[in-house]
Amino acid sequence: MNDVLDVALRLLVVFVVFLTFPLIVGQTEHKVMAHMQGRLGPMYAGGFHGWAQLVADGVKFAQKEDVVPAGADRRIFQLAPAVALLPYLLVLLAIPIGPGEGAVGQVIDAGVFFVLAVMGVGVLGSLMAGWASANKFSLLGGLRTAAQLLAYELPMLLTAASVAMAAGTVSLVGILDAFEWWWVPWQITGALVFFIAGLAELQRPPFDMPVADSEIIFGAYTEYTGLRFALFLLAEYAGIVVLCGLTTVLFLGGWHGPWGADGLGWVWTLLKAAVLAFVVIWLRVTYPRLREDQLQKFSWTLLVPLSLAQIALTGIVKVVISQP
Amino acid sequence: MTEPLPPKRPRIPGSGLAKGLAVTLRTMTKKSVTAQYPDTQPGLPPRTRGVIGLFEENCTVCMLCARECPDWCIYIDSHKETVPAAAPGGRERSRNVLDRFAIDFALCMYCGICIEVCPFDALFWSPEFEYAETDIRDLTHERDKLREWMWTVPAPPALDPGAEEPKEVAAARKTADKLAAAQAEPLEES
Amino acid sequence: MTLAAAAATAAHATTTTAAETHGFLSPTGVEIAFLLVGLVTLGAAVVTVTTRQLVHAALWLVVALGGLAVEYLLLTAEFIAWVQVLIYVGSVVVLLLFGLMLTRAPIGRSPDADSGNRWVALGVAVTAAAALVWVVVDAFRTTWIDLDGAPAGSTEVTGASLFQHWVLPFEALSVLLLAALVGAIVLSRKAKAERAAATAPTPGTPGPGPTRRETEGTR
Repeated sequence: MNDVLDVALRLLVVFVVFLTFPLIVGQTEHKVMAHMQGRLGPMYAGGFHGWAQLVADGVKFAQKEDVVPAGADRRIFQLAPAVALLPYLLVLLAIPIGPGEGAVGQVIDAGVFFVLAVMGVGVLGSLMAGWASANKFSLLGGLRTAAQLLAYELPMLLTAASVAMAAGTVSLVGILDAFEWWWVPWQITGALVFFIAGLAELQRPPFDMPVADSEIIFGAYTEYTGLRFALFLLAEYAGIVVLCGLTTVLFLGGWHGPWGADGLGWVWTLLKAAVLAFVVIWLRVTYPRLREDQLQKFSWTLLVPLSLAQIALTGIVKVVISQP
Repeated sequence: MTEPLPPKRPRIPGSGLAKGLAVTLRTMTKKSVTAQYPDTQPGLPPRTRGVIGLFEENCTVCMLCARECPDWCIYIDSHKETVPAAAPGGRERSRNVLDRFAIDFALCMYCGICIEVCPFDALFWSPEFEYAETDIRDLTHERDKLREWMWTVPAPPALDPGAEEPKEVAAARKTADKLAAAQAEPLEES
Repeated sequence: MTLAAAAATAAHATTTTAAETHGFLSPTGVEIAFLLVGLVTLGAAVVTVTTRQLVHAALWLVVALGGLAVEYLLLTAEFIAWVQVLIYVGSVVVLLLFGLMLTRAPIGRSPDADSGNRWVALGVAVTAAAALVWVVVDAFRTTWIDLDGAPAGSTEVTGASLFQHWVLPFEALSVLLLAALVGAIVLSRKAKAERAAATAPTPGTPGPGPTRRETEGTR
């Protein structure tokens, strides 16, 4: 009975995190983006600096009619948002935020593989949406999504493999247990590549060609309305949370910090993830969108070689330090 | 083949990207320029083209404004009134009396030509701008409304230091000087 | 295949062959789940090859491959399960869908989706399935995985068996994949070179190979 309670509690916590953190990131994006552009952003909803803007948005989305285009493939069209969103919930389950058993939803032996595999599944949602909408722009968006995933999955995997090599384990908790501070400079190239590839996989600017509004309206999500559209948006922000959490865990040492006892490890994790989320927003505000071919070229001619070089470096250092 | 320009300074790859990041970060730390309009009223300069106010007493129903208006949004009705002669045995004079003066702000394009052409200073720009209506027909505002707006017209801005004297002041001064000279002359002669 | 076989062997090492402790008539919860997921996987696979909607076929393939991953999980082969999801669901199906969308992916049925070879294909499929089932049954017979003991398919065990007992097939496979990679590059470059040669204006110009190398050098 105690086990059941424990599992239920963990699931509940992860679910609450899943529902709140993306909103926090979204609200931060509203505000940070506004101030970076010399604006104030939302100021009314909720009273204090528009803190409830996204709640209001959610209410608005829930009120809207759920339209399915006449020519669409009805069932797949309706299923797609769930396929896009659920994987991130699953991934969140495996990200440890503090030391010990208590600070992770579920310890998974092959954690790195689990998170990367399940994150890749989320893209299927965009593909299904793009195809099932019976809309040319949606189809183009789906195509771009697929092309982007194929290009960026590889560097992401390779850099994650580099960390796994360094730690000698593919378990996320194991990687953090083995972490030393000098891993950060050692794996910095890998960290950058992982982060950039993750951005591309989430279709965040400057890699948002699949939803490029000035070219293809809103890509795969063009035909969506109401709650299903909101689910896609939630998936994007949940993706940011997951990506920042993963980068923190894999490359920045998660709960390790210059000071802070065991009890405060989770603060470090959240702090690092928050800084990364800020960087995600910062990049969005600063850079214009790449072109589709530039994106592919960027991945295949820069990120993949860089990640291979990182793996080579990791291997060399690993052999050298394990010599004596 | 044109010779490539000699590089001024060795360019570090990615320095442009870093510069872009710096710009956005710097903007974030600065105060934002958003005007929180309904909460704080904007401080608009005099002569802002908000709405047109009418100073009825100055209007002579010359119709210049209505005729010059490019989109014919000024409606003027008037009738003639005879004024009894001022002096006994004098001629009766006729005078124009304004019956209606209305501006359709749905048509008005805020060019300000009516204000420019008014020879008697009966029309003024007012910075007032909150006169939205839910029906387009309600945007035709009659003389009483235009008169109300007249009281929102701010005083003209002060002249720049060292600026030329306004023409009317200069003219008035000239006349005054002449008058003074004319009065002074007979004194000298006597 | 090799990975699965390796996992199976790894499992083999730590499992009991005592069939008598497990009766076929008193299945445990895991066995029932295994059976049900297996049925779902089989059903999805059948729908994949029989449906006339191209993209639906690809999506049913996702279900089938995902079901397979769940089966691996139930067999405690966690690592294999996630790799299955990563490679097949995450990449192969995406590639498949990409290809479909790029060429032809009508919504609704495609009347010409059937091939005249369907009976031959069915025969081949049944034969292959029979051979596989026979091999697996013959190899494992009454082997049971001890679910309560040490995990037999964890990453560590899989890695150890892969790089100790199965290192030769592993390396052979990687060489094979490398050859395929190189072949693909050669083919694509050759097509490009032929096109370049066809458009070259004078016979006196050097071949496309060196020119490209030159341009790459200057780039």
